Amino acid sequence: MSIDLSRREFLKLATLSVASTAGACVPINSRTKDILEPQVLPPEDILPGDTTYYASTCRQCPAGCGIIVGTINGRAKKIEGNPAYPINRGKLCARGQAGLQDLYHPDRLRNAVKQSGGRGSRKFEALYWEDAIALLIQKLAGIDPVRVAFLGGKMPDHLYFLSSRWLEAMGAPPLVRFNLQSTLDGRITASKAAQSLFGSRQLPIYDIANAEVIFSFGANFLDTWQSPVAYSQQFGEFRQGQAGGRGFFVQFEPRLSSTAASADEWVPLRPGTDGLVALALGRIIVEKGLGHVGAFSQEEADLFRDVHVGELAEASQVQVEKLEQLALILASADRSLVIPGGYPAGQKNGFASYKAIQGLNLILRRIGQRGGVYLSQPSPIDTLPGAPAMDSFMEIMALIERMNSGEVEVLLIHGANPVYELPSAAGFVEAVNRVPFVVSFSSIVDETAVQSDLILPDHSYLETWGYQVASPGGDRPSVSSQQPVVQPLYDTRSTGNLILVLAEEQGGEVAEVLPWANELLFLEDASGGLFLSSLSPYNVKTAGDFWSAWRQYGGWWTRRELYQEPDVTGFFDQPLKAIEPSFEGESEEYPYHLYPYSGVALGDGSCAHLPWLQELPDPMTTACWQTWVEINPQTAHSIGVKDNEIVKVISPYGEITAVVVVYPGIRPDVIAVPFGQGHTDSGHYAANRGANPMQLLAAVSDEDSGELAWGATRVRVEPTGETHELARLESLEGEGRETIR
Amino acid sequence: MIFGGIILGIFVLIWVNIDLGSVEASERQPIEYSHRAHIQIGIQCLFCHTEATRSSIAGIPSVEKCMGCHAYIATEGEAVQALVGYWERGEPIPWNRVNNQPDFVYFSHQPHMGVGMNCETCHGNVAEMEDAKAVTRMDMGWCLDCHEHQEPHKIARLVDCLICHK
Repeated sequence: MSIDLSRREFLKLATLSVASTAGACVPINSRTKDILEPQVLPPEDILPGDTTYYASTCRQCPAGCGIIVGTINGRAKKIEGNPAYPINRGKLCARGQAGLQDLYHPDRLRNAVKQSGGRGSRKFEALYWEDAIALLIQKLAGIDPVRVAFLGGKMPDHLYFLSSRWLEAMGAPPLVRFNLQSTLDGRITASKAAQSLFGSRQLPIYDIANAEVIFSFGANFLDTWQSPVAYSQQFGEFRQGQAGGRGFFVQFEPRLSSTAASADEWVPLRPGTDGLVALALGRIIVEKGLGHVGAFSQEEADLFRDVHVGELAEASQVQVEKLEQLALILASADRSLVIPGGYPAGQKNGFASYKAIQGLNLILRRIGQRGGVYLSQPSPIDTLPGAPAMDSFMEIMALIERMNSGEVEVLLIHGANPVYELPSAAGFVEAVNRVPFVVSFSSIVDETAVQSDLILPDHSYLETWGYQVASPGGDRPSVSSQQPVVQPLYDTRSTGNLILVLAEEQGGEVAEVLPWANELLFLEDASGGLFLSSLSPYNVKTAGDFWSAWRQYGGWWTRRELYQEPDVTGFFDQPLKAIEPSFEGESEEYPYHLYPYSGVALGDGSCAHLPWLQELPDPMTTACWQTWVEINPQTAHSIGVKDNEIVKVISPYGEITAVVVVYPGIRPDVIAVPFGQGHTDSGHYAANRGANPMQLLAAVSDEDSGELAWGATRVRVEPTGETHELARLESLEGEGRETIR
Repeated sequence: MIFGGIILGIFVLIWVNIDLGSVEASERQPIEYSHRAHIQIGIQCLFCHTEATRSSIAGIPSVEKCMGCHAYIATEGEAVQALVGYWERGEPIPWNRVNNQPDFVYFSHQPHMGVGMNCETCHGNVAEMEDAKAVTRMDMGWCLDCHEHQEPHKIARLVDCLICHK
């Protein structure tokens, strides 16, 4: 090939190309321009360029792990687990690590705002804090306090304490709290079952590390269940033979979660039949006298009097022979442990299932025993009380009823996102429209903040004070401290301080019961009582030294382990009863059970605004950035869909569209959809991405526990004919991939 | 001929731009600060850049540190008046960075100072500069010029990639 080019043209072209290259070089150098801003008044304990570590508490999920945050030049750079804290012992999950992005999130509100174009307009007008507080005080002053409602969620314990006291002093109804992750963990059912069986509302803790055999009913404790970091660590000890050999683990769950994938045996149980299987196992053990002689009394054996194994085997679709084999494994071990998880609690027979499962622990003599069931320790001191379990769905429905009937004039919302987290069928959005004045304390404009008039953004949890009594707790009484690791980045205000300011402005009795000028003084005052405790791990001589140690170590816990043994009080009123599960939606029209689950990355959706977590592939499907629906290959074939096809998932209450992942690890009559996506707001990484399975769920609950029955909705699946390639690391079927032979 | 000259000139310009661009990164600073004036009256580098012996960075003095002297010394100067302005407003001084290592390089002043190296080995004779200027490109070749010539048994040889690119 030749190009006809004169010498003159060649030189012109060459000059032009060289000149353009030279021009392109200029920005390269200008990019190196960098500004160095030294501090005006340098703190004495900070060495510029060196890492300064602060101990605090993670607030990304309700578990409340201890964290150590590394800061350089006043900027938080890395979060790790606090090695001294007895719950997570130096470990931290991906959500905890991603807390930095919550701090630096570009969509955080930088000041107080009011929604000037009316609710839902997303037109915000900046307010001076003085004006915002004056507006709120004016609204509160003009109404009867019984017409105030405060809806809390994932709030730190000190804020629970301050806001509860504030509401009580005003004469307002008590705080109502809802958190989706807590619901998916079955915390409300666990707490109510503990109240009924053990006479205490403290959450049970399970000594996985020292067990020999574990049967877990839907407790995906290696994913997100209750306190996954603590339990994952214990699981490591369980596998490494702390109890004398490699432990044996059976997971009962309709979907192969990563916990089920780590089990020795996975039993894909028919949804809602966890309690039935537990009863059948119990009946076999007492009937055949399995296990150690005299392990259970006649009174305990009588609990399984009304159980008919054959019927339950049929109902649960687990064969009698299989049940007998499992019962033998369970009863033969010295230290076996049965754990009731989130999915059985999300059924309409959840409370009965919990009783049946704890009944197994009772006849196996596992209550209050090493490798068995204990109760979480309450706060070691009354001045730092731990918040009780969240309120049940029934209590949320009662609040919605109050809102609908016009009994609520001012609604305050902190740490909860009910517009996203409640089933659409619960009607929260309609109810909130009947409340004249709604205040959100969210630091990012989430779906609920869009429905409010005034947003008073709280600090990020890395910018503020607090404490937390972990529930479920660890092996000893403990309370973790939370402290700012950086100066607040923006003109936000701690809601704890805001409540103290409101109380002072309101004066009278309200100001009297909240005498602290700020939350820091409250914490110093309230934690000070631990200084004189003989169980204290610190060797400190003055209250000032105690306060330093409290912040330095990240809280207070006893030197030695100290378990709380449950009192077995409430089992024997009547024999345990098998309650068949029931579901919303006729099986002919809606043939599949919907299993919406909380994934390790986005959890209940409250972390969807963090791009690190959006990018984190699900451990089983390797999918990310979207909502997908997991369908058994056999079911997919019968519906006529393949990987990456978009389908409609339809329930009697709503529909969503999602991308198909053909997944062999799920029962053919169940489809699974992860929670987390489907936000309309909550920052630009989360908004308008995927679908929220809450739109499908029935607003029904277990009548005994009041918990939302989030696993009790049936759906059907319809192909749309469209496809969307899901972001995945690999195909599970190995299509298009060479296999090593 | 003319075009040839233009091309040659542009090549020279590009070379200067690329090669000295990072070296001559110093721009006018927000305050007319003179290193020369401070060093010539006997102030040691470490008096202001105190962190060099104990941290990865040498550190830029805080506004408070500047004011420690300039509340009393040379208070009438234009630059000192500008400094007082920052102090009174409680604002940091936005200095333009002169030397830099990118984020993918782990570099620490501390061990270099610990073996007795002088500041001017890398930063040049700052005592003769009004505005501090970068005198070397501080790229990998420059680092290795020293480190590769250390005795093989010496810990300072540091030719493993992961020493600096952790």
